[in-house]
Amino acid sequence: MKTWIGLLVFAVLGAAQTPEQLAHSREVFQKVCGACHPVERATAMRHTRAEWQDEIAKMVAMGAKGTDEEFAVTLDYLSAQFGRAPGRPAGGGGLLDGMGPSDKHVVDPVAAERGRTIWAAECIQCHGTQARGTDRGANLIRSELVLHDRYGSTIGPFLKKGHPTQSGKPSASFTEAQIQDLSHFIHERVNDTLRGSPIFHVHDVLVGNAEAGRAYFNGAGKCSTCHSPSGDLAHIASKYDPPTLQGRFINPRPMGGGRRGGRGGQGGAPQVTITVTTPAGETVTGRPVFLDDFDVALRDASGAYYAWKRVPGLKVVKNDPYVAHDELLTQYTDANMHDILAYLETLK
Amino acid sequence: MKRALLLFTCCAVFAADGGLDPARILHPTPDSWPIYHGDYSGRRYSTLAKINDKNVKSMTLAWVWRSGRVDGGLKGTPILTGGVLYYSAPDHAWAIDARTGRELWKFDWQSKGGIHIGNRGPAVDGNWMYFLTPDCNIVSLNIRDGSERWHKQNCDLDQFYYGSVAPVIIRNHVIAGVSGDDLDRPGYLSSYDPETGALQWRWYAVPQHKGEPGSDTWPNEDAMKHGGGMTWQVPTYDPDLNLLYVTTGNPQPVIAHANRAGDNLFTASVVALNPDTGKLAWYFQASPHDTHDWDATQVPVLIDGEFNGQPRKMLALAARNGYFFLLDRATGKNLVTSQYVPTNWAKGIAKNGEPIPDPAKMPQVAGAIVSPNQGGATNWPPPTFSPKTGLFYVSAVRAYSVYYIYDTDDNPQGWGGTDRGGANLGSSVEAIDYKTGKVRWSHQWESGGHSGLMSTAGNLVFAGDGAGNFVALNATTGEPLWHANLGASISNGPITYELDGTQYVVVTAGDTMWAFAML
Repeated sequence: MKTWIGLLVFAVLGAAQTPEQLAHSREVFQKVCGACHPVERATAMRHTRAEWQDEIAKMVAMGAKGTDEEFAVTLDYLSAQFGRAPGRPAGGGGLLDGMGPSDKHVVDPVAAERGRTIWAAECIQCHGTQARGTDRGANLIRSELVLHDRYGSTIGPFLKKGHPTQSGKPSASFTEAQIQDLSHFIHERVNDTLRGSPIFHVHDVLVGNAEAGRAYFNGAGKCSTCHSPSGDLAHIASKYDPPTLQGRFINPRPMGGGRRGGRGGQGGAPQVTITVTTPAGETVTGRPVFLDDFDVALRDASGAYYAWKRVPGLKVVKNDPYVAHDELLTQYTDANMHDILAYLETLK
Repeated sequence: MKRALLLFTCCAVFAADGGLDPARILHPTPDSWPIYHGDYSGRRYSTLAKINDKNVKSMTLAWVWRSGRVDGGLKGTPILTGGVLYYSAPDHAWAIDARTGRELWKFDWQSKGGIHIGNRGPAVDGNWMYFLTPDCNIVSLNIRDGSERWHKQNCDLDQFYYGSVAPVIIRNHVIAGVSGDDLDRPGYLSSYDPETGALQWRWYAVPQHKGEPGSDTWPNEDAMKHGGGMTWQVPTYDPDLNLLYVTTGNPQPVIAHANRAGDNLFTASVVALNPDTGKLAWYFQASPHDTHDWDATQVPVLIDGEFNGQPRKMLALAARNGYFFLLDRATGKNLVTSQYVPTNWAKGIAKNGEPIPDPAKMPQVAGAIVSPNQGGATNWPPPTFSPKTGLFYVSAVRAYSVYYIYDTDDNPQGWGGTDRGGANLGSSVEAIDYKTGKVRWSHQWESGGHSGLMSTAGNLVFAGDGAGNFVALNATTGEPLWHANLGASISNGPITYELDGTQYVVVTAGDTMWAFAML
């Protein structure tokens, strides 16, 4: 239920857009994400804005294509329409829409809760808390009988034939309703093992040494060249949970990995710019609109658009404030990463 | 023998009628692209040279064909025979005139579900086409009108398997793999009778019973029976050795690995099978005990060439884990192991040429910084080998991410973790000298990107960059010689053919197939 309240809040946020804006956002999202996979793979998930940012960064690293603006629109759209509040579990039962058959079992969480009671009374000792089996009973997550089941269609007949229970109650005496509840509970356990499920999240990442982190920050990492614990990083640990904070210093680009410039001015994030000097000696600096082996285009501070073919003599210089973080990726030990996080966590 | 003779007779007739005589796969003619890889070797190299490094600058648009909206986009390689391109995408198949791009017929499959992430294309044998559907069917169509002849179940949708790979035809075998790594299920490869669709044999990538080869690399029967190893790549084949080369996917559970101690054979491996029986001849494991979803389902490319002054039959694999392997393809013996991009996950190379995973770089609860990331140093898009330059070309990515264990249970299931964040430090085409594994040249893309490749006798390598450009590179130097912005990214490898004296280069991007030529 809490999940739905969380979703409602985000739905309301999403409603701030006009229907035309929303349609445009959806179109952009479909273009950017639908180029590689069915969009339902994304919309089946519920993530916080930071998690969606992570997801998009991952997709960019895997080859997702779009302009900075398109990625920004996609992030806004997914966060608003398919969001969840931090600290609340992901919705959707974890079952991504694209997986498995169209007529798959859809878990009713309320029925699954009723099934849990039956499970605890009759099944848990042999099949385990998560239905993954014990020395006394089979792993039901991997059971073909379970995977073929719909609302008790195979579990029911199996139990009717007779199966040991904890209480000694004859399994054939379960009512249809009880079998359905049990079926919902077991399918919910299967869904828990899928990517995007409510239990699919980062655990404790605070394992480092804050003092060692401080030393790295001021020493080998050269972080203090650009950052200050009382300046830009003041109270940073109050803004982000530890896993998000870890992701932020590993790659602080607004859109995560790749060679992208981030979104214009959002949250005061430093901008990637490029400076183009033409063969005639004219120099223009601005945010890259696109940059490939053959062409380059930018918008300057006034919003004016410039484009050039990359002919010999045309000089392109990238001014990338994040490049030090890229270099650090090749240098960090895992201990460095954990220590830096432990240190940043002291900056509440 | 009688059967083989019959088949030969029937297909010689079909060939005259525009169908595909399987013998032509052995010796492809310039007016055909008879199989996913162009030929059985997987080298995706064409002897055509009308379009070459001297004149490619003048190559121009010949035609376009648009598919309309297709879930998963166009990621397949067309098959060309009789002047017609046969093509497939999730739930759809088409015939397209290869000279003009005009659609001749379309077939729509009524889907019952499955992941619609992509389809690598069809296979054609005689007058029949074969392709896989996301909902686990293998479908045979009449190439004349697209009418269905039969369909058979290739996997169980309830177990979250799905179909994406292109089948391969070897004599009277239609050989097809399976996709899907969400639940802990075994990967396998199946061979079907082309006429009836009857199952001929099935090879499991992981042992199904204790005592079977490889079972000593798993802790127990439950772990190995459900141990993954999906067959998402199109196999290659050596007709002289009669060996089929198959690459296998990651073990299951994918990231959390507490319940599968050991090397987990034959996941993340290249294996040689007898295509008539499905029996294993040898294996080489690219990623023992993979914990990063890297699999080894890249194209196993067959190279006939010189090694240490002697002619040798070899197999080259640029694996997703960042390593290039050269093997003797008769025996599986490792000849070369090298990194084609820097990686940080192995602590050395074993005597048998396999990387030794560093336990510290396996996924951790608090995270481990790993390169490559989950996308890999390369992925499914095909590499190419040019016998003319002796170079093996592969699209490569240098990326880091942080791998986390989410499922801390001592009996994890499914994925149990993933990687997050990190950064892509650059994408490139790497040209590798197969004899040494050393990178001869590297063309870094300004815009990222990761596409399938094709090389030609015209000293060209065709590739796609991250900005939607289709690019011809000089195969000897890596210098870009020609490009066109197709407006969407290219994933699969291009093909080329010659009809009526014109050489065409065909590639798909987004929802469009593009043909270029010198007109």
